[in-house]
Amino acid sequence: MSAYDKVFKPRRITLPSGKSILEKRSRMPLILLGVLALTALSVRITGFSFGPLLSRGNQFFVILRQMYPPNMKYLSSIWVPLFDTIKMSLLGSAVGSLLAVPFAVIAASNMIKSRLVLTLTRLFLSVVRTLPTLVTALIATYIFGLGTLAGTLSIAIFTFAYIGKQLYEQIETVDMGAFEAMEAMGGTRFSSFWVAVAPQVLPAYLSTCLFCLEGNVRYAAILGYVGAGGLGMILNEKIGWRDYPSVGMILIVLFATVVVIEALSHYIRSKLT
Amino acid sequence: MIDFHGVSKVYGNGVKGLDDVSLTIEQGEFVAIIGLSGAGKSTLLRSINRMHSITAGRLTVNGLDVSGLKGKALRKFRRGIGMIFQSFNLVSRTTVIKNVLSAKVPDMPFLRVLFGIYNKKEKIAALEALDKVGILDKAYIRADQLSGGQQQRVALARTLAQEPQIILADEPVAALDPVTAKQVMDDFRRINRDMRISVLINIHHVELALEYADRIIGIRAGKIVYDGPVQAVDEAMLDTIYEGKLPREVEKPA
Repeated sequence: MSAYDKVFKPRRITLPSGKSILEKRSRMPLILLGVLALTALSVRITGFSFGPLLSRGNQFFVILRQMYPPNMKYLSSIWVPLFDTIKMSLLGSAVGSLLAVPFAVIAASNMIKSRLVLTLTRLFLSVVRTLPTLVTALIATYIFGLGTLAGTLSIAIFTFAYIGKQLYEQIETVDMGAFEAMEAMGGTRFSSFWVAVAPQVLPAYLSTCLFCLEGNVRYAAILGYVGAGGLGMILNEKIGWRDYPSVGMILIVLFATVVVIEALSHYIRSKLT
Repeated sequence: MIDFHGVSKVYGNGVKGLDDVSLTIEQGEFVAIIGLSGAGKSTLLRSINRMHSITAGRLTVNGLDVSGLKGKALRKFRRGIGMIFQSFNLVSRTTVIKNVLSAKVPDMPFLRVLFGIYNKKEKIAALEALDKVGILDKAYIRADQLSGGQQQRVALARTLAQEPQIILADEPVAALDPVTAKQVMDDFRRINRDMRISVLINIHHVELALEYADRIIGIRAGKIVYDGPVQAVDEAMLDTIYEGKLPREVEKPA
């Protein structure tokens, strides 16, 4: 009997037949109390307060109002950076997701028996995943110069680490029956994986890739802040000039792009399963 | 010919899977292995194609020492032995014919495996295998659309496409209803008689074992307690095999 059960005594339920069983009390109050305490603690540590939000919050709408009406004339200069952004996210997502596959396979415990290989691969994926995209983009601009190549690379790196983790977890949940059958027929580990496991994870893999692409479009839009090309570059510039009508136009275009890509990806993902 | 000579298997936790097993199975026999769950039926079957390895004794298949096989030699050896599972073990998301064609994969060059390209000869062989188990018309349907009995037949066709000399079946009808179970057992009998393939079946249904097999191997706590023709199995023998726990209504068919 645990300590909790000693404080909050289990309830005895008796059946008409006279047999009885003890029903343990719910742990929920204890968990709620813990969550509340942690929330209070984090408010104290971060110094969060509603005061400034209430007194200065209207400033947000001041800028928003200045964006209206958006500068329609500026639209013609948005297309090139917009396509740069889309290009970066598409290419980066594709390269990253393809590169993730072999690493995911050797990070899955049901495919690789060696603890060492598993630990090293997972550690590698975790380390890469902790690199913020903005930082990798900044480093990439030092190596490859300003432009979309740096952005593409940093998006590929992020996608690689994210898909790598998702995919190895998906591989670990597959039904191993078909894999066992392939091995019993004399298949190599690779061919058994390819024939028996890959078809099982393919829909989930593609779905994760598309989900990642959705997020990457938004990421790609801010990478221009560190010189990695795309919408972020002109966004940064126009905010610097306090040209809010143009900023408004950029945001509308970005919004429309994100909505279209999300709708498209949502549609394809619904067809996958 | 499969030859066990003083074979034992001790698991890592000290449990004895097989205990000094000696027996010989000739090419073309139809053998049913019966016994309680955990008695060692699966271990016996799976040690033959090295899905489990043995810890003592000598196990040879057609003169080849199974324990010594590794890597490429082991894979080549397994090509000659088909395996059927209780839960069919198909790739459920793909078509029936792709499942059957997977039997050809171990012999195919890497690039053809990678892109899933099968040649005409392989396709014809797969379709013929499906025809032998009577589900040719289901070839282009997804495997998970089929009933349990049909899925087990797909698994059987996959094994046939492999052209084995031996088929090991681990509880092949345990997940099937009695009528379908009989149909699948009929398939096994036909394959055994027409193609002279040895069939070794682990089975819980004593009545099916007695009806279809030529020879019964009774196993209890890792030891062979009966090995002989099906005609010589009597009530007392079944009591020995099942530790006297078998319900009375299970009678040997006349």
